[in-house]
Amino acid sequence: MDRRKKDSEKTPASKASVVEASPAISASEVFTVNLLCGVGLALSLWVANTIYSINLVTDPSLTLFIISIIELPIVILLYGRYRQNRQRCSYLRAVGRGILGVPIGALLNSLGAIALGAPVTFQHLAKTLNWSLMMSLFTIVPASCVLGSSWADWKRIFAQTKPNGSIEYLICLQAYGAVIGGWFGAWPMPLDWERPWQEWPISVSYGTLSGYLVALVASLGFVLAHRRLQHVKKD
Amino acid sequence: MEEQRRKSGRWGYIWPMWMTLLLHLLAIILFTTGFLLTRTELPYYSHCTDLSNSPCFPPSPNNNGSCWTKPSINRLVIIVLDALRFDFVAPSTFFAESKPWMDKLHVLNNMSSSRPSSARIFKAIADPPTTSLQRLKGLTTGGLPTFVDVGNSFGAPAIVEDNFINQLFQNGKKVVMMGDDTWTQLFPHHFERSYPYPSFNVKDLDTVDNGCIDHLFPSLYEDDWDVLIAHFLGVDHAGHIFGVDSTPMIEKLEQYNNHLERVIEVLENQSGPGGLHENTLLVVMGDHGQTLNGDHGGGSAEEVCVTNMVETAIFAMSFQEPLSSVPPDFDSCTCQTDLDGKNVCISSMQQLDFAVTMSALLGIPFPYGSIGRINPELYALGAGSWKFDASQKLPEVDIWMKNYANALCINTWQVKRYIDAYSASSAVGFSHDDLSRIASVYAQAEDHWLHSTKKLLLDRHNDSDVLVPELKRQIDAYFKFLTTVAELARSKWTEFDLKMMGTGIGIMLISLIFQLYAILRPTKQHDVNLSSSSGNSSIITSSIFTIFLLAIHSFSLLSNSYILEEGKVVNFLLSTSGIVALRQSVIKEKLLIESIGFLLLSTLCRFAIEVGLSKQAATSAFMKDYSSWIANIASDLLVWDYASKVIPMLVLILLAFWLYKATRCGFFDWPRKYVILGTILSYMLIIVHWITDSDGFGVALTAESIGRNYIPRIVYAIALGQLFLLSFGQLFKRNCLDCKTNLVAKTTAMLSAWSPTVILLSGKQGPMIAFASIVGGYCIMRLDNIEESNKNRPGRSFSIMQWSLFATCLFFCSGHWCAFDGLRYGAAFIGFEEFSLVRQAILLAIDTFGFSIILPVFGLPFLVVTKYQNNLGKHLLFTQLSQMYTTYGLITAVISTFTILCVTIHRRHLMVWGLFAPKFVFDVFQLILTDILICLASIYYFDQGDDDLELKSSDC
Repeated sequence: MDRRKKDSEKTPASKASVVEASPAISASEVFTVNLLCGVGLALSLWVANTIYSINLVTDPSLTLFIISIIELPIVILLYGRYRQNRQRCSYLRAVGRGILGVPIGALLNSLGAIALGAPVTFQHLAKTLNWSLMMSLFTIVPASCVLGSSWADWKRIFAQTKPNGSIEYLICLQAYGAVIGGWFGAWPMPLDWERPWQEWPISVSYGTLSGYLVALVASLGFVLAHRRLQHVKKD
Repeated sequence: MEEQRRKSGRWGYIWPMWMTLLLHLLAIILFTTGFLLTRTELPYYSHCTDLSNSPCFPPSPNNNGSCWTKPSINRLVIIVLDALRFDFVAPSTFFAESKPWMDKLHVLNNMSSSRPSSARIFKAIADPPTTSLQRLKGLTTGGLPTFVDVGNSFGAPAIVEDNFINQLFQNGKKVVMMGDDTWTQLFPHHFERSYPYPSFNVKDLDTVDNGCIDHLFPSLYEDDWDVLIAHFLGVDHAGHIFGVDSTPMIEKLEQYNNHLERVIEVLENQSGPGGLHENTLLVVMGDHGQTLNGDHGGGSAEEVCVTNMVETAIFAMSFQEPLSSVPPDFDSCTCQTDLDGKNVCISSMQQLDFAVTMSALLGIPFPYGSIGRINPELYALGAGSWKFDASQKLPEVDIWMKNYANALCINTWQVKRYIDAYSASSAVGFSHDDLSRIASVYAQAEDHWLHSTKKLLLDRHNDSDVLVPELKRQIDAYFKFLTTVAELARSKWTEFDLKMMGTGIGIMLISLIFQLYAILRPTKQHDVNLSSSSGNSSIITSSIFTIFLLAIHSFSLLSNSYILEEGKVVNFLLSTSGIVALRQSVIKEKLLIESIGFLLLSTLCRFAIEVGLSKQAATSAFMKDYSSWIANIASDLLVWDYASKVIPMLVLILLAFWLYKATRCGFFDWPRKYVILGTILSYMLIIVHWITDSDGFGVALTAESIGRNYIPRIVYAIALGQLFLLSFGQLFKRNCLDCKTNLVAKTTAMLSAWSPTVILLSGKQGPMIAFASIVGGYCIMRLDNIEESNKNRPGRSFSIMQWSLFATCLFFCSGHWCAFDGLRYGAAFIGFEEFSLVRQAILLAIDTFGFSIILPVFGLPFLVVTKYQNNLGKHLLFTQLSQMYTTYGLITAVISTFTILCVTIHRRHLMVWGLFAPKFVFDVFQLILTDILICLASIYYFDQGDDDLELKSSDC
């Protein structure tokens, strides 16, 4: 499900400040970050499967929660390292605002999902909540770790889709991947196949996860291509 | 070329639209003739003498009056309870859950449990289409009426095919009819006496029933009839108005129970030897079922609803000494204990079999076109009357079986005769393979008959040991044949004329190309003007996105699940477009409120659509989920009840106030000012109407009934007057103002002229939806303007797509869906009590498409107007407007084309008559209506003549 740029509701914060760009990171670092995120995902699915013996279909709510819990530290700790304004912003602060981003992102994501037709009954509450937690980790949290409250950067990356530098490519592509994947994941829901996975939010979560995974790979590719292009330009 | 266009005046802008209308009409007429099938009705009739051609035994000559079969009953009382659900009749123990409407007709249960061999309940499976007219036709002809006849349902034409009633008439049986006047329309000359009552006023629960009762009981004591038909409509009407789970429905059922008790008592009292009803069979039956909210006619594809519509009940009871028992082999019944602990057995039968079984019982020739088979259980109920001669040493049951085998022999022969005659006379009959398959099954059965059974039967001295197995085999062979034919007829009856359909689709595609050309043509011509914008990538992005949304919407129509949930699909797309618009407005950092508002509005629409869907499938899990919290707020609080009455009026006052403010602005000149004042007056009248209509305000008006009818009529009259004023004002006016303001004034006046009627017909939800459409329209309009880098850009397809999606959403929001049971028949009777086809059809169309077609089409100029500055000149403005209208028409046409493709692909689908065909009819109607309105709107909006003013200004 799609909810780009709900971020607009956020405080109309800083003027386009003359901030120092986020630190450049090497291709191998990008690879490590993406790998860790992917491994985290695989780990959480494995944990759900073997320890709790559940999966997305049998217990979507708990599975999504496990994914969120395991991804949360990975994402926040990893992206906190690439915060902007290193001088003025400590690592702890970046982690702090990443944690702050979790509920905000969850709220925005769930609002978007409801606008697009997610059920709002009480029995679906836990599912919607856990799904939007996961969505928040894929979309808003990395950005809030890196960008903080720099409204201009948020706008540039998400609305105008003009990321600048490797880390912003990661943020932008992964958020878009998760959102668009989820949007497509909603398609099979009305079909009358009567499969258990057609329930909200299972197919949407599958869409989100696959969109996110594709984006992980694609962002790596983008970063490499971008780098090569810059090299060529320099030459 | 420019000059030429200018010379040709407004026709230069308009002709593509008329051309499109013509193309669409042609395409749809061609396609429809190919798709909506007509079964060939054969002009042949069965006659008594025909039987000599069959291999079967004629009835013994001493039985005077008998013709084909040995008559077993003399008189027949048929009581039809319209829309009788199976669970009204069957004991609640047959169902998983006991519901309040079950067990109300307990007299039928008691009878069938206390006298299992002379009274019996059947579950009758009706074939679609399940409207009363179609079912009566099917019941009496024993055939499968086709979907096309649904269209004739409002003007029920007489049945020309051979049928049960006709056979009764031909063979000197006297038929008395009372109740639903559809019968007299179907059989204008066949009744000895008839007491018809109008069936179309659904609000009236009692007139037909009371009329029935008044004539039923006296008639039961008379001896001047052979068949009596009483058709009650109360249950159908109660279902349409209140739904199944409602007090009026339960009261109706209880009332029927009392009547039926009395009927049985009267018949019972006279059933002694020599009595009036010695050999009478009582049949209480439904013509079709209904869903929980009282609909039938074939819309929702949910399994539950289909079974509810298709399953009805037949209760038959004979007042003769019963036969000891039916041979158990034919019993297809399931037995359960009822609430009193007695055993009740219920058999199952096809409604198709009704006509032939009744004919066999009465001994008249079977209707020529019947493809049913004689139902053994029902046939056995009449067996008691045969005076079994003691000379035969066979037990009663075996004699009955002998008779039954002979009746089946006639039955089989008659069906085969019909199939042969049909394939000979119809151009596209059954396929060769199928015919030869039928022929071989028939040959088998006949062989057996001629070579073994007949001989055995002729030989009077056989033991039952020899005879019975042989007869059983014979009956099985006949069953096999009759089942094969019925199956074949069901699956293959409908013949599609693929050539016609293909031509229709081809013309439709041509019209799409033509429309596309008409859209792109002005852009090319104004390349000079627009060159600055042609490189604008955002236009390309937005058109791609438009095409993407349109493609999703169109392709979704190819699947039945998406058609069922079209409301949600459209809303999903609308919200998506809203999110994209939000992104756009974040980039531009303006109009944030509008885009968020639009998103909120589409979220609200989504809830409204879900409530609508819940009405469509009241049985679905939705109600269980939502009723908890909706009901908590809604039902308990008096305040809420009060608010639901007051809020629409407040919103209406707000709308009136807006209009009043608009008139103060001063750009409306005389005719339009009066039009708008008229609208405000209409709004006030509507409020008065609602106050007098509801009792919640303690306004006890003595002249309530007058107000109820006259106020809506005044509103309609004002609306007509306004439309006349606007179109005549058009003739006299020379535009004095600049064309943009002029266009705004015209559009506002037109919309305000339509709005009171639409709001009044939509009921209390009307003002809210009107409010929502104004807000939504305003948001789309503003958001369209978000990139004002270049004022001369061609119309942005994206906003038109949003406009069209929003219009479709409003269709679903206002509680409609694409099925005949989605029509709000109640709306057709606002202001009028009596039925008149044209008038009610127009009101129904305005109610159904008011918010989704009429208002959006007439409101479309707003999208153009906001984009232009005053000085831009008329020519450019009108080019844009015509382009916009063509784009809107194109979007509708693409969607309709996909619906047409969909019904073509799914023409053999199980749901084709239940789901796809109604959707097709709705979409085609929408397309034609949109085209016509676009043509009318273009005449109205495009001014005649050219003005020099724009020549000066068009130098930009």
